[in-house]
Amino acid sequence: MRKRFAGPALLAVVVVVAAILSAGSQAMTDRGKGPERVAKSAVTTVSLNGWVGAKVEDDLLKEVIAAFERSHPNIKVNYDAFNNYQTTMLAKFSARKPPDVLYVVAEDFADWVRQGVLQPLDSYAKKSKFKSKPFYGGLLNSFKYKGKIYGYPKDWSSLAMEVNPALMGGQPVPKTWAQLRSVAQKIKVAGGKPICLQADWARLMAWVYQAGGNGQFKSANSAAFRTAANFYVGLLRDGLATLPTDVGASWCGEAFGKEKVAIAFEGNWMLGYLKDTFPNLRYSLAPMPKGKTRGNLAFTVSYSMAKDSKNKAAAWTLLSWLTGKTGMKKWTSLGFALPTRSDVKPVAGRGAFVKYPQFTHGWGNQVDFRHVWTEVANNELTAVVQGKESVNDMLSKIAAAAH
Amino acid sequence: MAVAVASEKKVRALGSERLREALVGYGFIALPMAFFLVFFIFPIGYAFYISRYDWEIFKGPFIGWDNYRELYHDSVFWRHAVRNTLVYTAFVVPLQMALGLSLAVVVNQAIRFRTFFRAAFYFPSLASSAAIVSIATYILASDGLLNSFLGNLGYHHTKAWFSQENTALPSIIGLNAWTTAGTMMLFYLASLQAIPTEVYEAAAIDGAGAWRTFRKITFPLLKPGHFFVAVVSVIGALQMFDQSFIVGGTSGGPNYSTMTVVLYLFNRAFSGTARFGYAATVGLVLFVFIFAVTLIQRLLFGKAEVA
Repeated sequence: MRKRFAGPALLAVVVVVAAILSAGSQAMTDRGKGPERVAKSAVTTVSLNGWVGAKVEDDLLKEVIAAFERSHPNIKVNYDAFNNYQTTMLAKFSARKPPDVLYVVAEDFADWVRQGVLQPLDSYAKKSKFKSKPFYGGLLNSFKYKGKIYGYPKDWSSLAMEVNPALMGGQPVPKTWAQLRSVAQKIKVAGGKPICLQADWARLMAWVYQAGGNGQFKSANSAAFRTAANFYVGLLRDGLATLPTDVGASWCGEAFGKEKVAIAFEGNWMLGYLKDTFPNLRYSLAPMPKGKTRGNLAFTVSYSMAKDSKNKAAAWTLLSWLTGKTGMKKWTSLGFALPTRSDVKPVAGRGAFVKYPQFTHGWGNQVDFRHVWTEVANNELTAVVQGKESVNDMLSKIAAAAH
Repeated sequence: MAVAVASEKKVRALGSERLREALVGYGFIALPMAFFLVFFIFPIGYAFYISRYDWEIFKGPFIGWDNYRELYHDSVFWRHAVRNTLVYTAFVVPLQMALGLSLAVVVNQAIRFRTFFRAAFYFPSLASSAAIVSIATYILASDGLLNSFLGNLGYHHTKAWFSQENTALPSIIGLNAWTTAGTMMLFYLASLQAIPTEVYEAAAIDGAGAWRTFRKITFPLLKPGHFFVAVVSVIGALQMFDQSFIVGGTSGGPNYSTMTVVLYLFNRAFSGTARFGYAATVGLVLFVFIFAVTLIQRLLFGKAEVA
């Protein structure tokens, strides 16, 4: 018995030792080979990382990349998408093995650039005469830190007002806060409410801009924040608006599609969703209502370069092509997202999103943004909506948490 | 002389036999031990090392015990994350144990379709927690299955259970007690079958009823089983993460009601400013706490284990 097992057991020891030794020597030969391999062949491989999107979007991106590779035969693009994107990228940054080019969402931008993982691009742009003028200013600002550009926006969407005419009861499409309130008071929606609102500052902040605010969480104690929060929460408290979860939906797009609400405020992502999920729904798009002024949020993502990239020249070639006129045109051709360049026209029917670019402000680009937004601001907003806290207490807690 | 040589040979043979035995022993444990050292002991040590630095994405300056001091004064951690985790543990552990024991006693009887029931009760433990929570989100939605069922009974609940501060955590507790009960049942079933049948026969001869037999014989003789199940389920409960993550995202919402210690740890490392040093501190505090609780449980149940 004992002898029968002795063989396999010793074999196990040998295997472990061999595995450790070979792993070590593999790493050493890899290190030795690195520069040699690059020198031998003229083709540079650039890694590109993003997150997993819808299949149609993924297919389109692969087409865009293939088009780049055709026009740049000396660069090969190695594209990879991840589900837990933030977590994966932080691990890669930390191990100093990041991809050469990567998506950065404006919500992560300030934290990542502050910790020195992104490459400033100004000198590359200057050298290759890549102009930032065609980009919408509000979007480019989302990827500027202390005056330097660390990414060019790859696409974006703002919010618009989606209206279901069948549920409006003949009321006109509201253009101002006051009209929105008075119209909502006259609408009756069976099994729902006139308006859908989410307990999420990624919507409420648009109203803060409409009230004349600056959109910075650290200014949450200002009058504009108070006005916007009171109006927004007031619609919910007075029964003119509902949370999506209260009408059996996980977000307002679903509530709108299920015809539980007549009005919702969502972005360009809603259009494809409604077409696929509720193909028979008829609705129209209108600009966000006007408060003291016009105001809207821009949700945007950049192509950025990692500071620890080993192929910066080739990475810039890819990045500037993707965010350049040719790449942008191809990527936004199916309307999944809006072009960030004024010299590329969006597909038809997107007027409500792009009508007032000067009043559209980037969402994100604040330090510790995700923490302040999801953990502090949204939890406090939920407490206010559920009647457990006052608007003023919420605002002072948010201001205290933001730095 | 010849005798001496022979015995010496025997000793040498014995010696090589023992060496062989030792080698075989080490050979057997080498692989698991290597895994244990590389994937458990080393990370714990390294986490401690990280926790003494102002470590964000990259290593920062050495700051001694500052992370620990900050955690001591961190009101969100204590008032929400720790509190929710303890409440969750206090409810889910007894529920799991009671449910697991009842199921084990039932499927230990000579009933029809016993194997089917064993498999059926164990099944939820096999499904991924993410899938179960996602399905539960529909069942517990405002117009979901549960609310319409309650409506038919004349009790009108119109809110989604996961969206309300006072029902979100209890919903997760109920859900997890159900999913993990199958595993607990399996553990209890093993210890139930370790109880010798003579004891039951003696009790039957003495005229003990079913309830009395359970209370006076089965339950006390299950003490080693109780210990094991309690330890496993407390450790699992203190590490609750995925259900909260799916219900409220990184927010731990609504209004912090599903924020747990591990979700808080995850957030400090991956949401907002990446503070790996501070997150490691949270992890170590949780480790020390779980270690202490397990030791206390061992002391409480210790004697029974020997018996």
